[in-house]
Amino acid sequence: MTDLVIERAEDHCVARFRAMAGPCALLIDTDDESLARHLAHVARDEALRIEHKFSRYRDDNIVARLNRAQGETVEVDNETAGLLDYADTCFRLSEGRFDITTGVLRRVWRFDGSAQLPEAAAIEALRPRIGWQRVRWQRPHLTLPSGMEIDFGGIGKEYAVDRTASLLAAETGCALLVNFGGDLAARGPRRNGSGWTIAIEDPQSVADVQAGTIHFELERGGVATSGDTRRYLCSNGVRYSHILDPRTGWPVPEAPRSVTVVAGTCIEAGMLATFAMLHGPQAESFLDAQGLRYWCLR
Amino acid sequence: MQLKKTVSIHQALALASCSLLAGVQPARAEGWETSASILYYSEQDRVQAIEPVVRVKKQFSEDEHLAVQVVADSLTGASPNGAVPTTTPQTFTSPSGEKTYTTPANEIPLDPTFRDERFALSVEWARPLGRELRSVFQGHFSGEHDYKSMGLSATLARDFNTRNTTLTGGLSYNSDEVDPVGGVPVGLSDVTLRQRISGTENKQVLEALLGVTQVLSRTTLLQLNYTFGQDSGYLADPYKLVSVVDTGGIPVSIVHEKRPEEHIRHALYARTLTAFGRDVLHASYRYYWDDWGVNAHTVDLRYRLQFSGGHYLEPQLRYSLQSSAADFYRPYLPQGETVEHVSADYRLATMTTTTLGVKYGIPTRRDGEFALRVGYMLQTGDDNPAGAPGQLASQDLFPDTKAIMVQLNYSLLF
Repeated sequence: MTDLVIERAEDHCVARFRAMAGPCALLIDTDDESLARHLAHVARDEALRIEHKFSRYRDDNIVARLNRAQGETVEVDNETAGLLDYADTCFRLSEGRFDITTGVLRRVWRFDGSAQLPEAAAIEALRPRIGWQRVRWQRPHLTLPSGMEIDFGGIGKEYAVDRTASLLAAETGCALLVNFGGDLAARGPRRNGSGWTIAIEDPQSVADVQAGTIHFELERGGVATSGDTRRYLCSNGVRYSHILDPRTGWPVPEAPRSVTVVAGTCIEAGMLATFAMLHGPQAESFLDAQGLRYWCLR
Repeated sequence: MQLKKTVSIHQALALASCSLLAGVQPARAEGWETSASILYYSEQDRVQAIEPVVRVKKQFSEDEHLAVQVVADSLTGASPNGAVPTTTPQTFTSPSGEKTYTTPANEIPLDPTFRDERFALSVEWARPLGRELRSVFQGHFSGEHDYKSMGLSATLARDFNTRNTTLTGGLSYNSDEVDPVGGVPVGLSDVTLRQRISGTENKQVLEALLGVTQVLSRTTLLQLNYTFGQDSGYLADPYKLVSVVDTGGIPVSIVHEKRPEEHIRHALYARTLTAFGRDVLHASYRYYWDDWGVNAHTVDLRYRLQFSGGHYLEPQLRYSLQSSAADFYRPYLPQGETVEHVSADYRLATMTTTTLGVKYGIPTRRDGEFALRVGYMLQTGDDNPAGAPGQLASQDLFPDTKAIMVQLNYSLLF
């Protein structure tokens, strides 16, 4: 079990723990520390449960079972089916740009900030192993062609944030904010009538403010960021984003460095941010058309 | 063009996110839930009831649970016996034949010997059948000193369209035994003759339900149900009487009621749940009709005002209009008229029932809830039916029923 720390802030409680390969925080609008502790345990248990169940780095979960199936049909549980349905919808809505089978490309693309580009032939060799359209998905049965893999990298953490927020809301009427490594969901409003104050870092690079960290209030809803501020390649003066286009096997050209979106739920915000990245140079025009709050960093 | 397309992407994503998260329930595998409630119901000058309920539920997994519920009812007070009021006091013999009671002049006769204790036990088992099908099986038993009921039911539900649509089908069967105090009276017989059918009587109730629940948008849910019911056997109320009156409206005799031995019922029910931010509007409409000629419309509106800290206030308005009475409903029977069936039971008459209520809920530590509901009910009917002869024309043949109800509920998870 990872450490769980409860702190008493001025007018709320903060719980911190590690899960999903990053720092997680839970802000609860209460002065009752034992309630905060109980909720923090619920939140951490749920984060660890989802991490355990959907991580691609484990060999004892449903993702490993699907990826090892060698073309055999696997029957999945309801929760996995829900995520596969969601991924399927996102694939269709993005016209194939968002694809949970893209992960095999990571064998050749290593985004470590270096100038090491993969061989074009190596990318070509992997392309037959990518493409959700080759997968047969008929809830609850998934048939993944041999050699193909799926991962819930673009969905899992945001899903965990929303699910945890819903679970906590079922346990308490207190306003709260779930923050798993920068992906957020808020349930409010707070006792003082306001929302939670959210800060977006790296203000100098954010296009739509002059200076200073951006602060905004979130009463309820989700916030997610898709970005490559640390994960990218730079070769011959060209910056390659870690957002890969499954249709070409190459990074999306002229993708923003990061996109932060506010939406009804975290998973929705995350997917809108990812879609924006996948639109490359048209990211902003795509986002403008949504009528949502967003911050696009170039 | 581009704008339209991207907006629809956002909407489609919002919908997909909503259906992905719709199934979020506390994954409370292997938990226990106990809830207890007590209802106090009191009609002005009539029946009073106290009904405690205890329910214990064991959750084995998300879709599987076993629940046991125990109810104990206690009813006391006076209930209309069906006879008409008269300008002189009337004396009746209690159903047991051992006591008499006298109704003052110009008052609706109430049987004050009305008293009942009921005990009911039900067991519910819910489990998934395969991936898509959920099932609930129920069994129940209830007993009173003059009535026993046993029943079984099965309900199956299947989700379609990524859980946006749910089809439900159910069947239930009940077998009841009526063993009235003083024996089963012969229908239409004069009460003074005390004619009885030997032994007990039986009643069978078969019900079938078909329903569809549809998620209309991220804030709206629609549910439609059709229920078919078939009752057969002894369907009369052994304690209800009918006055036979002369042209002056004076009772010349009093007979036991008699109802058909078959009863086919239908009900269409529509319900919507709409979220407005944190608040929820619950609106339902039910249309009921049966082959006895009864028609009824019921509208129920509830609005849940959700406050911070989990408190909520839920005002409720329920309005029911029984627009058509049973064909054999007669508040009195003119002397000399022969009928196959007759009942003066006010529940088969045309009437309106209005209920105003409010519920207040407070979350308790962890997962429990404490709720208090208070309600007021007013039932009105036709006080002066057209053509009432003689003295009946000046009597109130359908006095209003007023009732208050108070319910306390406490639930606890552990």
